[in-house]
Formats: sequence, C-alpha cells, structure tokens
Amino acid sequence: MLSREVLPFYASLAALALLSLAFDALLHIVDRVWIGRYLGIAGTLLIIFSFGYSLRKRRLIKSGTTVRWLRLHEHLAWAGALLILVHAGIHFNAILGWLAVWAMLINVGSGLTGKYLLERARKRLETERQMLRDEGLTAEQLEERLYLDSLTFDVVKQWRSVHFPITLAFAVLALAHIISIFIFWGWK
Amino acid sequence: MKRSWVLSIIAINLIALIALVFVFPHLMISPGPVIPAHAEIATDCFACHRQLRGASPDRCQTCHVVNDIGIHTTKGITIPKDKPTVAFHQQLLEQNCVACHSDHVGPKLTQHSRKPFSHALIKMDVRNHCTSCHAKPKNNFHQQIQSDCQQCHSVNQWQPSTFHHDPFFLLDGDHNAACATCHVDNDLSHYTCFGCHEHTPANIRTEHAEEGIHNIDNCVQCHRSADDKESEAREGGEGDDD
Repeated sequence: MLSREVLPFYASLAALALLSLAFDALLHIVDRVWIGRYLGIAGTLLIIFSFGYSLRKRRLIKSGTTVRWLRLHEHLAWAGALLILVHAGIHFNAILGWLAVWAMLINVGSGLTGKYLLERARKRLETERQMLRDEGLTAEQLEERLYLDSLTFDVVKQWRSVHFPITLAFAVLALAHIISIFIFWGWK
Repeated sequence: MKRSWVLSIIAINLIALIALVFVFPHLMISPGPVIPAHAEIATDCFACHRQLRGASPDRCQTCHVVNDIGIHTTKGITIPKDKPTVAFHQQLLEQNCVACHSDHVGPKLTQHSRKPFSHALIKMDVRNHCTSCHAKPKNNFHQQIQSDCQQCHSVNQWQPSTFHHDPFFLLDGDHNAACATCHVDNDLSHYTCFGCHEHTPANIRTEHAEEGIHNIDNCVQCHRSADDKESEAREGGEGDDD
C-alpha cells in the first residue's frame, strides 16, 4: 500500500514543487524571467481544458470515455499547476495572486487525495467482486463487505463535496487575478 | 445541507476578498509598492493606468509637464540646483515615460522592462552637441579644447577615450606610466620628460650637446618612442616635423 498508493501521492506533490523550482531557477539563470509571465496563460489554458472531465461526467460532452477524461483531467491539471507555479515564482507581490496560487495548491492536494481515494475504492470493489465470483460468501460476510464498500464510496462522495468548493474558490481568485491583469497591464 | 454551508462560507469569504481588492488595490493587485514620491496616489491605479492599455505616458504628463521636468516640481516649485539644469527630457525623440520609468520598482519583471539610458533616444541636433548636457572636465587640457568631444570620446562611454597617445609618444615598457609623471598636475596640454629619475636636464643636456642639439624640452620632436633607432632615423631622415 505504501509503495503503490501513498508514495505516488507524495511523489506527485514533490515532483510539482521540485520541477517548478528548477524551471524558475533556470529562467533566472538564463535571464529569461519574462517567459514566466506567459506560462501563466499556458497553465490556465491547460487547467481550463482539464475541466472537460467535469463536462463529460455531466454528459455535456459525449466524446471519449469518462475514465480517459479523468486521466486527462489529472495530467493536464498537474501540468497546468506546474506552469502556473513557475509563472508565480517565489515573489511576494500582489496578495490576490498569492491567494490564487495557494487556492490552486490546495486544489492540487485535494485532487491528488481524490485520486488516491478513488483508486482505493476501485481496488476494494475489484477485490470484492473477485471474491464474490471465486468464493462462496455467507450472508453476514457479504453484508460486512458491502458495508465497507459503502463506506469507501461515502468517503469519495464526501471528498467531492470538498473538492468542488475548493475548485470554486480557486476559479474565482484566479479569475479576479486575470481580470485585474487585463485591466491594468499594457498588452503591447 | 452541510455542503451548502461550506459553499456559503467560501462564497462569503470570496466576496470579502474581492471587496478588499477595491479597498486596498495597492496591496491586493499591485505588483509592488509605488515610489515614495507617488505615495499619495498609491491607491488610485487609474492615475497612471488606462483600462486595458496599461500605464500611459499621457497620464504621467498630466502631472509631469515635459517642459517643466528637472526645472519645476509637479506643484510648480522651482527645483534648486547647484549646477545649471540640463534640458534632457525635453530633447527626447519620443515622450514615452514608461519606456524608461516604472513606478513599481520592486519586481524583477518591471525592472527588466525598463530600458537603460541611451543617447539614441535624444534628438539628433542635441545628440551631437555634448555640452548641452555634459559639462567640460575642468582640467587645463579639456578647457582649451574647442572641437567636438566625439573626436576622442564615444557616446557609449566617456572612459577610456578613443584618443590614441601612440602617434605622439608610444607608451610602452617603462613609459607606460601614470599621466601625471609627464603631464604635471594633470595638465594634458604640456608635458615634460624630466618627471622621472632616468631623465634629468643635466644628463640630457650633456648627451645632446655633443650632437649640437640645445633644445632639450620638446623631446617628442625627435623621440616618438623609447626606441633609439627610431629616433635616430627621425633625426637623420625627416628632421623637424612639428
């Protein structure tokens, strides 16, 4: 469990932190800090595209399987977060931008938690099905298993009720940051 | 029910944060503090910015009248100066304040977006008239020069000058000395070869008297370097060339 579920969770977070530090340092070393400004746009587009999963889940788009969209959601959101972290750099300037970055990081942490919970639920369900197929269970055992399954699904459901408001907070703060940039920045 | 509570709390917080953007824009959205002189307008972003256009030179110039820059403050008070005021901003090819200046001086991005000073920004007729901005050096040499500074100096840097000493005297070996060794008191219009212990008037006079040379003050008339053969050739062939 440690190597298959817990470690990948922390490895994703650590890779995000280390890669963004490395890219930021690289931009400073080659004196191309201005590139970071435009990585914010690229990162935002990746994250927006990753929301295709939510649309697919709600059947607002028909193409592709939900699972494939989920994988795309995970990868695009992670890559988008990486670009936005490089865009933000380690600078303490406007508070609004910082709030948006922190909301995004909490969102990424929440997303990885959801991925971990979903994976566990899927494996548990798989095991249960296998057991039901291969072994004859008593009614009591079956009830116990089903109860555990329902708990697992409840955790995922509860997680969803947290992930959505976090995403909403991130979206509002990011949008406020983007609007303020559009209003005050000179796009020349 | 529980979810609606979470959403409500988050929504209230977000509304409060957005309200703070309007109340404290200099903290919430400014990329860094404005310069101290602009502290009064720190919360009025549109004093300098135009919607969707960024910081605008037009807005700068509503307070900073170009003809008054360096002469009067934005409140019309004459700026006291020890030296005569140089008309610099008035002579720029383009009055684009934000090309060189940024109010948010902290962030590295705004530092990078600022252009360094370049003489190429100045109108042609003023660009070649160096003394309209620069005072002449106060040493004797420069005070007596009336010609164009760019004969010896470039607009990229004042020192080292593009003046070449070699045609007058080759500064090699022991002669690669401090200017004041030969140009006493840094008076570059005069020189003496008797500034070091090697050449004394007595030994030079004795040595040259044998050749019938009595003027021993203008050494470079014959000696353009420490190379004796070169000077002998000059004495024998060209004679006086100054």
